[in-house]
Amino acid sequence: MIRVISAFTLLLTLLIAASLTFGDISISWHAVFAVLSGSIDASQQDVMIVLELRLPRVLLGILVGTALATAGTITIAVLRNPLAEPGVLGINGGAAAAAMAVIVLMQDPPVFLLQVAGFCGATIMAVTVFLFAWRGGTSSLRIILIGVGLGALASAVTTFLSAFGEIGDVQRAMIWLSGSVYDANMLKVRLLSIWLVLPIMLTFLLSSELDLIRFGDNAARSLGQPVDKMRGLLIFICVMICGAAVAVSGLIGFVGLIGPHIATRLVGQAHYRIIPVAALVGACLVTSADLAGRVIIAPAQLPAGIVTGLIGAPFLAYLIWGRRHERG
Amino acid sequence: MRTGARTLVGRRMLAFFVLLFLLALGCLLAISVGTTWMPAKTVIAALVHFDGSRDHILIIAIRLPRVLTAIIAGSALAVSGAIMQAVTNNPLASPGLLGINAGAAFAVVTMMTLTGSGNGSSYIWFAFGGAGAAAVVVYALGSMGGIVHHSLGLILAGAVVTAFLTSLTGAVLIFDQSTLDAVRLWTAGSVSGRTFAEILDVAPYATVALAASLFIGRHLTALSLGQDASRAIGQNTALWRGVSLVIVMLLAGGAVALAGPIGFVGLIVPHIVRFMIGVDYRWVLPFCAIAGAFVVVMADMMGRTLFASQNFPVGVTIALVGAPFFLWLARTRVRAET
Repeated sequence: MIRVISAFTLLLTLLIAASLTFGDISISWHAVFAVLSGSIDASQQDVMIVLELRLPRVLLGILVGTALATAGTITIAVLRNPLAEPGVLGINGGAAAAAMAVIVLMQDPPVFLLQVAGFCGATIMAVTVFLFAWRGGTSSLRIILIGVGLGALASAVTTFLSAFGEIGDVQRAMIWLSGSVYDANMLKVRLLSIWLVLPIMLTFLLSSELDLIRFGDNAARSLGQPVDKMRGLLIFICVMICGAAVAVSGLIGFVGLIGPHIATRLVGQAHYRIIPVAALVGACLVTSADLAGRVIIAPAQLPAGIVTGLIGAPFLAYLIWGRRHERG
Repeated sequence: MRTGARTLVGRRMLAFFVLLFLLALGCLLAISVGTTWMPAKTVIAALVHFDGSRDHILIIAIRLPRVLTAIIAGSALAVSGAIMQAVTNNPLASPGLLGINAGAAFAVVTMMTLTGSGNGSSYIWFAFGGAGAAAVVVYALGSMGGIVHHSLGLILAGAVVTAFLTSLTGAVLIFDQSTLDAVRLWTAGSVSGRTFAEILDVAPYATVALAASLFIGRHLTALSLGQDASRAIGQNTALWRGVSLVIVMLLAGGAVALAGPIGFVGLIVPHIVRFMIGVDYRWVLPFCAIAGAFVVVMADMMGRTLFASQNFPVGVTIALVGAPFFLWLARTRVRAET
């Protein structure tokens, strides 16, 4: 556990350093260090590039990755399904439909509006799923099925808009939908971190409840857990976390699914171990994806959401391969 | 007990034939409806005694292939979805989990980008090949993750391969606007403009796999009970998982090649069928075949008439029509775990 955490922390530190150094204009390690330590030797240009362009982007990537992986850990445990990424709650579908509508139906929508639309779409959709699934109590299976059904409706709307929208708009929407941390600034970073602190801490404090609820409703209930209330609370936390992440970065896929699975394969089943490791994995994943996305084919940029799959999927495959002799 | 079982079988047979009759009626209607209305008499005459008149040519060359495509795609996707949900023991599983959609999409997009063209029917083979290759990779990776012992291996492998291929496809599409333009209707799922030749390319695989699926119902029911139960009753789980997945590959690969990834059918029709007739896969599979075909044929007809567009993606109509019904079923039929 400690080894895994320190390894990923080291990796994350290296990724941060690399993200601050590499780019269209390469800045030496010394210069970056000078800028960060506030020394007077740093040139004006370096200060601008590092502090105003690259640093917010890295921090936003870390926040988004942490958020998505934590949210994914919650949904996998609460819905008791290894395929249940936060998108199952309708978060992605709602955000995608809202954002697609804004982009295709409006002339040059401001970025701000897009983010509000994304957050509202995600929250409204998740609340609808939960209310629809509520029938004198909740049930994981019912939430999953209702989520799938409403998700299908939402994606029908998205597909309809994308099939008949103007092709330039559709392409712009696709970039937003694939998720990126392009337009990061310090204000966004601050807002998101304030927003996320409480729910993520709460998730960590509730890790033993996550352990319980995964055993099944009856087992959890007989061990004294108010299952319906706890499920509602956890889903609420998950929507808060994930909705905000989706609003600032679009749909960065696979982190919520791959992060928790990688963590489980590394440190086992207890959630007080899974949550910090998954958060670190998520942060590394998004940071490295953003770095790779802007370096590999520079000056063009690949959205981080596309690269997360390319980096995370082989890593999980490697973990599966490495443990092929274990019987699960 | 015995008479009880017999009446249950009788009722299901009756329901099956009613559904089959509805499907036949729906197909007839779907062929009749269009920019010019063809009376049922003309449709049947064209099928039985083709006389080369304009109406008959229209029916045979345009409308019949469309309905046939819908039938093949619908039943193949629904049956393969049911098989996937039984094999993985997971209500979220769909043919797409085997990497079928992602593989087909990736192959088609790569082909279009490299050759710069989206015409001709060569993409059917690319889609079929991509779907098959992806499924093989998923299965191989899943076996390493312990597919023999646990369905989690398959699920994770499917998620990994799908994630990887979807990312690659997305990366290509973001930079290639003309391919995005050509491929977006395909990804929405559409049954328009298919020719008999294209259908004949795919139909044999789909038909054989569909027929084979009717014989594995027993084993699927056992698989769907979960790993421990199925092994306890003496099932060779690895064998039947393998057989099931080959069938899924042929069915869904063919359907996706022909009509694009129509997501809803493979995921939701099996749930609807199970809500209606229970969890015995000897019945679920044939009902899925008919219900899936019915849903796609009717949805395509509605899309054509209500939105007055020959290219309206059938995937959208299916979701708009089918999702509310499914939501109602899920809300009323799924009880809290006891």
